[in-house]
Amino acid sequence: MSELALIIEDDEDLASIFAEALRGIDYEVEHVADGKLAQERLKSGTAPFIILLDMHLPHISGGDLLTTIKQDERFENTIVIITTADARMGDMYRDQADFVMIKPISFVQLRDLTARLKPK
Amino acid sequence: MNKFFDSFLNVSVPDPDDARRRRVLNILLLGTLLATVVGFVAIVVGSATSNELNLPETQILLGGTLVTTFGILGIYQINKRWSGRWAALLYLLLLTLIFTFTDSPDQLSNGRSLFIFTLPIAISSLILIPEASFLFATIGSGIVAWLALSIDQPVNFFAIIGFFMLALVSWLSARSLETALKELRAINTNLDQEVMDRTHALTASLDRERIEAGRNQAILNSIADGVIVFDKKWNATMANPAIKSMLDIPLELVINKNFRDLIEHPRLAAQSRGLLQAMIEHDTQPVGFRIGWGEKTLSVSAAQVYDNRKENNKNIGTVIVFRDFTREAEVEKLKSTFVAIVSHELRTPLNAILGYAEMFKEAVYGPMNEKQVNMAVRIMKNTQRLLGLINDLLDQAQMEAGKLTIHIAPLKPAELLESLHGLLDKTASDKRLRLTSEIDDDLPEILNGDSARLHQILVNLVTNAIKFTDQGEVRVKLLRSDDAKWGIEVEDTGQGIPEVDLPYIFDTFRQVEGATTRVHGGFGLGLSIVKQLVNLMSGDVKVESKINSGTKFTITLPLVIP
Repeated sequence: MSELALIIEDDEDLASIFAEALRGIDYEVEHVADGKLAQERLKSGTAPFIILLDMHLPHISGGDLLTTIKQDERFENTIVIITTADARMGDMYRDQADFVMIKPISFVQLRDLTARLKPK
Repeated sequence: MNKFFDSFLNVSVPDPDDARRRRVLNILLLGTLLATVVGFVAIVVGSATSNELNLPETQILLGGTLVTTFGILGIYQINKRWSGRWAALLYLLLLTLIFTFTDSPDQLSNGRSLFIFTLPIAISSLILIPEASFLFATIGSGIVAWLALSIDQPVNFFAIIGFFMLALVSWLSARSLETALKELRAINTNLDQEVMDRTHALTASLDRERIEAGRNQAILNSIADGVIVFDKKWNATMANPAIKSMLDIPLELVINKNFRDLIEHPRLAAQSRGLLQAMIEHDTQPVGFRIGWGEKTLSVSAAQVYDNRKENNKNIGTVIVFRDFTREAEVEKLKSTFVAIVSHELRTPLNAILGYAEMFKEAVYGPMNEKQVNMAVRIMKNTQRLLGLINDLLDQAQMEAGKLTIHIAPLKPAELLESLHGLLDKTASDKRLRLTSEIDDDLPEILNGDSARLHQILVNLVTNAIKFTDQGEVRVKLLRSDDAKWGIEVEDTGQGIPEVDLPYIFDTFRQVEGATTRVHGGFGLGLSIVKQLVNLMSGDVKVESKINSGTKFTITLPLVIP
């Protein structure tokens, strides 16, 4: 069974690259491009194995979503990877996330990291 | 009282010698008049008590004193109105005539009253002319001889010789006196002239100075920048009116106040305090640094003033110029924000280009031939370069906006070198250059610093060194400079930097002029960012270079061991 990866990213191109990287190593990928929609998605449905979380999002910020994720015990085992272009923002949430990746994020880098995280 | 006597005694004539003689004559006339009046009273009282008032001798004596009195008054008039010389001559003749009848002929020619004829001799050279003493010596001698002969006595030649000796002495002393007085007057005249000349010169120079000072004050007053002059102890001695509107405080709250009062002023932004404090503590002369003052941003420049009139060229104080920089600072901030936003927006699509190129390279959608992979790598490299430039721009913009901050945390110097090698070893070996590094044994294994920014500094310097070196090596050394400092040295065997360009290499958007700019890409922001980052870390960066033999950058940073 493939693990579920939820990509929360408003840039379609980046989302598509991230999705390809993850699909390449057998992740099942789900994409949400908006903070509000992401909030909705997190309320129900399967808990993802990995969440790629952008910080600058329309309507609800990545930071607020991160708080929601951390408060919900359904996501206890979910790996959260923050993806942001703002290094300071990354520093700010470093403690709450499992990984912080500063954009530009390399296709290979993301693929290799998420491959390592997959359960054997 | 003196004035009253002076009005009687003085005769106003142009010749000072004549005036002096006539005054002396008037004094003598006064004395003689008093003596005559006293004599007259004595005769009247004396003869009245002894009932001799009616004797013919008494009558003659009283008549004589009256004649003398009128004579004196007449001579006084002549002296006062007409001629001092004639008056003096008449007075001396009158005196001689009186003396001739003051005693018996034998006492006058040979006895107790013989001396009396010396008086006209001595006086004449003083009030007539110096040579007149001889005239009265002759007259006196004549009278003495005539008196002696009239009573059948021998003429006293010794007395006559004495008279002439006295005349000689009087003549000589009067003459020397007159010469001395003349010389004195000449000296006085010269002195007066000199004093007058000097006074004129001084007045003229004071006038010039006043005009000059007035002009300087006018210039100072019309300058739009605020100017405060501080003495050596940092007390404000002078300020121009512009400072009032610049700092929004009355002039009297500036002048005579110490610079420290200004530092403690509530309007001064807290983060600007350190800058001003450092200026007076280290006697630096910063140019154009910014301070926040209330709502305003001011640019502050300080210059020490030296007294170049003295040989030792002593520092006598500091002039500080404040310029209102609010508008410029706003524009700068806008510009920086604009650049930051634009850079951020540019990074996202570049990240996409990079990602898609990688996907080609990784053959995500099926096999690729070598040429296609090669092309994907080129797209990636160029995108990386563009991203590097944008990062530099973003850093520059953040630094200008004062947003870039330094995060100090414990770090391992060895790790800095590790990550440097990891990033740039390939770049160096692609150019067939050696990238070597070493760490001083004295350097602590862990020290405080901003590892990300130190990494950036190292990468910038080493990338630059590789860029400008065609053969040889790039050497990196981390060292302990002294007890309180550590440093980074980056040395290459490259083409070197021309000496004329050295002062400008840390300027923003600057690359050494000429072909270099075209051969090597880049904005020329790298070194400027290095310098600004080092300064933010309270450090210093220096450069030494020799054409065709290499360049060495030395960074010194404060050493803090956690």
